[in-house]
Formats: sequence, C-alpha cells, structure tokens
Amino acid sequence: MEAASHAAGAHGEPTSFIRRYLFSTDHKVIAKQFLWAGLVFLAVGGTLAMMIRWQWAFPGRPVPVLGALLHRSGGVITPATYQSIFTMHGLIMIFFAITPVMIGCFGNFTIPLMIGAQDMAFPKLNMLSFWTFVISLVLITASFFVQLGTAAAGWTTYPPLSTTVGTPGAGQTLVVLAIFVTGAATIMGAINYVTTVIRLRAPGMTYMRMPLTVWGLWLTAILNVLFVPVLGAAALLLTLDRAFGTQFFIAGAAGVKGGGDPILFQHLFWIFGHPEVYILILPAWGFISDIIPFFARKPAYWYRGQVLAMCAVTVLSAVVYGHHMFLTGMNPLLGKGFMTLTLIISVPAEILFLNWLHTLWKGSNRFSSPMLFALGTVFVFGLGGLTGLYLGTIATDLYLHDTMWVVGHFHLTMAAAAFLGSFAAIYFWFPKMFGRTMNEPLAKAHFWISVVFINLVFCGQLVAGFSGQQRRLYDPYQYTFLQHLLPLNRWTSYFAFALAAGQLLFVYNFLRSVFAGAKAEQNPWEIGTLEWTMAPSPPPHGNYWPIPTVLRGPHEFANPEVKKALGRDWIGQAEELPSTAASPARTPAASGK
Amino acid sequence: MVAMGEVLPYRPPRAREDTTAYVGMIVFLASWAMMFAAMFFAYAFVRARSAAWPPSDLPELPIALPALNTLVLFASSASQQYGMIAIRRGSSRRLGWALLCTVGLGTLFLALQLTLWMRLYHSGLRPETGGPYGSVFYGLTWFHALHVAVGLVAIAVLCAKAFGGRFSAAKYLPVRLWTLYWHFVGVIWALMFASIFLI
Repeated sequence: MEAASHAAGAHGEPTSFIRRYLFSTDHKVIAKQFLWAGLVFLAVGGTLAMMIRWQWAFPGRPVPVLGALLHRSGGVITPATYQSIFTMHGLIMIFFAITPVMIGCFGNFTIPLMIGAQDMAFPKLNMLSFWTFVISLVLITASFFVQLGTAAAGWTTYPPLSTTVGTPGAGQTLVVLAIFVTGAATIMGAINYVTTVIRLRAPGMTYMRMPLTVWGLWLTAILNVLFVPVLGAAALLLTLDRAFGTQFFIAGAAGVKGGGDPILFQHLFWIFGHPEVYILILPAWGFISDIIPFFARKPAYWYRGQVLAMCAVTVLSAVVYGHHMFLTGMNPLLGKGFMTLTLIISVPAEILFLNWLHTLWKGSNRFSSPMLFALGTVFVFGLGGLTGLYLGTIATDLYLHDTMWVVGHFHLTMAAAAFLGSFAAIYFWFPKMFGRTMNEPLAKAHFWISVVFINLVFCGQLVAGFSGQQRRLYDPYQYTFLQHLLPLNRWTSYFAFALAAGQLLFVYNFLRSVFAGAKAEQNPWEIGTLEWTMAPSPPPHGNYWPIPTVLRGPHEFANPEVKKALGRDWIGQAEELPSTAASPARTPAASGK
Repeated sequence: MVAMGEVLPYRPPRAREDTTAYVGMIVFLASWAMMFAAMFFAYAFVRARSAAWPPSDLPELPIALPALNTLVLFASSASQQYGMIAIRRGSSRRLGWALLCTVGLGTLFLALQLTLWMRLYHSGLRPETGGPYGSVFYGLTWFHALHVAVGLVAIAVLCAKAFGGRFSAAKYLPVRLWTLYWHFVGVIWALMFASIFLI
C-alpha cells in the first residue's frame, strides 16, 4: 500500500497535533473521538447503575467505595439522590454512551469506508457534530455540581415532575438543554450519514451491494433526522416552560387559564422515543447481519429480505409510539390500533431472526470474539423481543406497566443487545481502526462473563417485575408484598457487580491493545468488504486512491469459482476474478480527471 | 492516465459537489420541518384540550398586521428567487441588489413582529399569564423569528459577497442553499399565519 499512503500525504493530511487529533475533519479520527467519549460515559452510566443495584440489595446502607461521593449523607443514597441516579443512568446510557459508540463512532467509521468514499459528504459539519456533542457533555457534567443537584425527573423527563413545579433546580434545566444540544449534534451527524450514502457510494456500489452495517446505520440516520427534532421541540417547549413562564405542559394548580397538558409531553417524547429504541438497535442489527455471514463463511441468507425487514421496521417504528401510553387515558380504539401496529413489528423482526439462523445453519462457523458477541446479541435481542410482546398487548400491559418487567425488557433490547452489538463491532473493527490486534482469549473471557451475567441481571429484573415490583422504587421492601423479593434482588445485584467487574477485562484489553497490541494485518478476518480489502490497517487519510470500482455484494463466500481461481473461500467486493481480467478492474471512473 | 508515483488528489467535479450539498440541505430542511411539525402538533393538542380559544379575558390576535407581514415575507422570497435567476444569467450585481432587497424586507418583517409582540404584551397577553394561548403565540412566533434572524445574517453576508463579485453563473451554491432555506422559513410562516391567526 505504498501508493495509498503516498496519496494520503498528497491529500493535504493535516500535520499539526490540533488539526490532526483534536479538530480533525477525518471521519476516522472523529469516530475515535466519539468512541473514547462514549466509553468514558459508558463507565459513568455503569457506575450509576451499580449504585441503583446497591440500593435495591442493601437499602439505606452506606455505599462502599462510591459512598465517598455522597459524603453529605454519610455514604447513604437518599431518596432525592436516588431519583437523580436513576434519571442520569438512563439519560447518560442512551444519549451519551450508546449513541456516541454505535452511531457516532461506528457510523462515522464504517459508512465512508464500507461504501468506498474518501470521507463524509460534509467533513466540517462532522467535526462540528462532535464538538457540539462535547458541549452537551459539559452541560451534563455541570448539572451534577449545581445546587439541588442534577436532573431527577426520570430519563423520560415527564412533566409535571420536570417542570419547575417538580424540579426547581438549575440541574434539570441544564440537562434538558444538554438533551437539546446533543440532539443537534445527532442531527448534524445524521444529515452527513444520509447524504453520504445517497451521494458518495463508489462506482458499482449499488444500494443492494451495500454491507448490511451501512443499511442499518443509514436507516438509523434517517430516523434520527426525522425524529430527533421532535425531541428537540419537546425539550425546547419544556425549556420555555421552565425559563420563560409559558404553559405548554403545566396544568392543575400551577396552570394559568386552564394550563397546558403534561400528556402532550408524553406524546412528543414517545413520537421521538419509539423510533429512538430502533435508532439504538438498528445499528446493532446491521453489525450482526454482516458479522454472522462473515464468520459463518456463507453469504447472508436472503440479503434482500434482511434489507426489506429493516426498512419495514424503520417505517413501522414511526407509528407505534402509543403503546407507551396505554395507561394515560387513551381512547381504547386508538390503543387497539397502536397494539396491532406494535405486534406487526414482530413480523419483520422474525424475518431478521430467521435470516440470522439460516445464515448460521450449516455454515463453517468461526467462533471468534466478534462472532460470539454477535450470537450473544441475537440471543438477548430474542429474549427482549419476546418479553416485549406482553407489553405491546394491552391486556397484559395493564398489569406489567411500570413494573420491573418493563425495565428488564428494555434493558434486554436497548442495553444488552446494544451493548453486546457494540462490543461485536469494537472487536470486529478494532484492527482496522487502530491498526493493532486485541487479545483474543481475553476477548472471549469478556464475552462469556458479559453474556452470562447480563442475562442473569435482566432476567432477575423480569422475575421481580412479574412478581409485582414497580420500577424506580427507592426501597421496595417498604411494601409487605415485595419483602420476599429481597433475596432475588440481592442476587441480581451480585450478578450486576460481577458484570461490571468483568468489564475490567475489556478495559485492560482495549487500553493495552490500543497502545501496545500486535500490529494488525490488512484483512485478519478474511472477508471481502472494501475497508478490509482495499485499504491498509489503519486506512490512510482519504481512505482510497483511486476510488475502487465495486463488482459484487459484501458477502461473497464459498463460491466454487472463486475457490478454483484464487484458492480461498472469499473475494473482495472490488476484486476482479482472474478469468475475467480482460477488462480493467480499477478504473478511476469517479475521479474528475 | 495517471503515471506511476504521480498522485492527484481526488476532486469530484463541482456540479457533483453542489448536488451533494443540495441533498444535504434538503435532508436538513426535512429534519427542521419535523421540528416545526412537532410544534404545530403541540399547538393543536393544547387547543383541542382547552375550553375556550382564546380565553374570554384575553385579547384576540389581530389579523391585519400578520397578514401584511405575510405579504412582506412573500415579497422577500420573490426577491430572493429573482436573485437566483439573475445569478444564473451571470449578473452578480443584480443578485446583490436582490439580496439587499431580501434583507430589507426580512428586517421589516422582524420589525413588524416586534410591533405585534409589544402591542399584544401591552394589551395584556403575556407569556407567563396568558396560559396555553399566550404560550403558543409567543413560543411559536419567537422560534420562527429566530430562524428569520439566522437567515438574515447569512443572506447579508451573501449580499456583501455578491457586490464583491464573488458569485458567477457557474458558482453560486451558497445562494442556492440559502434561497431554499429562506423559502422554507416563508412556508412555515404561511402555516403559522393560517393556523394561529386565521383559524
């Protein structure tokens, strides 16, 4: 790849530290920036989760180690602190951990590389997106240090609790602003992703030859473009209510002239919120839809079906939000409509599932760490999907609403599946991203600890919910009918602590590999997508010179002709089969010259 | 053909880059349309829930002034569009005059909005005491005025550049993008005028 790296130099690759690593417009650098920020906040969100688990295992007892942060109450989690902890756990995990890692990092890293583009369509907007995101991180961090503490109205930020009536402190306002700002950052990123896929695909990279990762991230970006602004509008109106005395969401005694309606916020929130849960899972679906065929050494079963199913979910996700509001006094007819649409989502979800299983069936499966994490994702997502049926159905939702069942369900889908899917992506693209290799035995140990304990934790929550424990209770054992759940919750907490401890394996492996891992080959996984076949690890500034011409889809495995001609079971997306080498394979067709 | 060792940085033709930017602008406006749609939804929701609209002790919103303002904003859109036609024919100077006209009309729009807000504020419609009625009126029109202001600053910069001869028939992408934005802001205003002031 002598020529490629030389080309990079000619591209005007920035040489100063600031332009190269800090205010870089290179999508690969921005991806790493999002990854570091996301992983740091994943640790923060995880720490908050451990504090919640401690409270449910040992209510009222001083928290070991982390108790030092709660010095005012002698290390004990007070009810007010508890409110803030579960609120910020949810918000940080969703907006400041999963979103940057899955979409900020892997959206940035994989889209241009996998479609054969030299960078995003708008590199400066991309940089602006990251630095806007940093502003929201500053806001959210600042909210912890103001009087009355940070936000405490739940991650859903429902009024009246989230208006000045319920949370008078500046912390809540800062957090609502942080959501608005991070929303702006997300939209900037999403505009880039949508436009890049439409405009910058390499010659021959038709939509139906795109890797499924790109499909997942592209559909995610479309949902982000259309629905994050709705959250933005909700956050804006809430800010107006909090700061300028308007009355969109304030009702009851605090309302003027009849007041507004708190339910309005729930509508706006879930019009965004339901697409959001697919925003958080579509990238993972994309990753594992590629990783499973890559490691099963087979073409993805029914590629078109997979694309269609993901598109169908994307469309349906926009019209099911009402199932979050069955208990808000919704018109029963409307509720039934939402229920029907919700349950219809299981059809495309089944297609995805069956396709993954069909791809695995009789594959020459290689159980490397990305494959293990992909299979783990399939498992927890299946479990999460099945438990969701009871919440999408009104008759059962009436009983399960706002219980720990809901918590277990959405953690299995949004947390466990997104978490394992992100790790699949990290282990998979790490060699390409950093040019180094991660330690495989440690990665496998990390997988087994993660997958076992993550299931035990969230299934423990499902059981507690089915036994009637409401979510968000400060001390569930104040209720006699929940007292017998203490051993269950305590065990769940032990599993959670074990899960957290197991992540240290990843932290060690990741940091050691970033700085001192063995140099990675160009294509360690032996697969055909552009980033592995047409660029070194890590790819140079500008990725490809010339732009490759794509000849086939992303999962060309086990083709007898390829085997005969090349002696291997895979072929690159832009690689010419020797028997047809008469026409030039790599014409710089897209270049202006 | 590119000789061995000689490396040319990849530069797509300008038309291709322009189209990419145009697609990006369309995606951005689709996104922003959803933000305004959410606000109109909020408006419809609180209005459907309230007993009287407007409440009996609050002043009704005037029609004449916002109607005049609608015409002003439409005229500014027309002058903006005229500027586009002018630069396509290669006249940077006429583009400059058209943009100046847009900036003038846009400023007039904001001035008239300010008059409207002050007049209603003094006749007793205030954001903090107006209930949802006042919230919708102030919240939505403030947010829209903010977009007008952003557009004005950008078009003023374009105007200076146009008089400096920085645009030509082959190179006027920023004008094209901001024209699209300006029309978008105009359409949003038309919807606000119809839904908040007329019905």
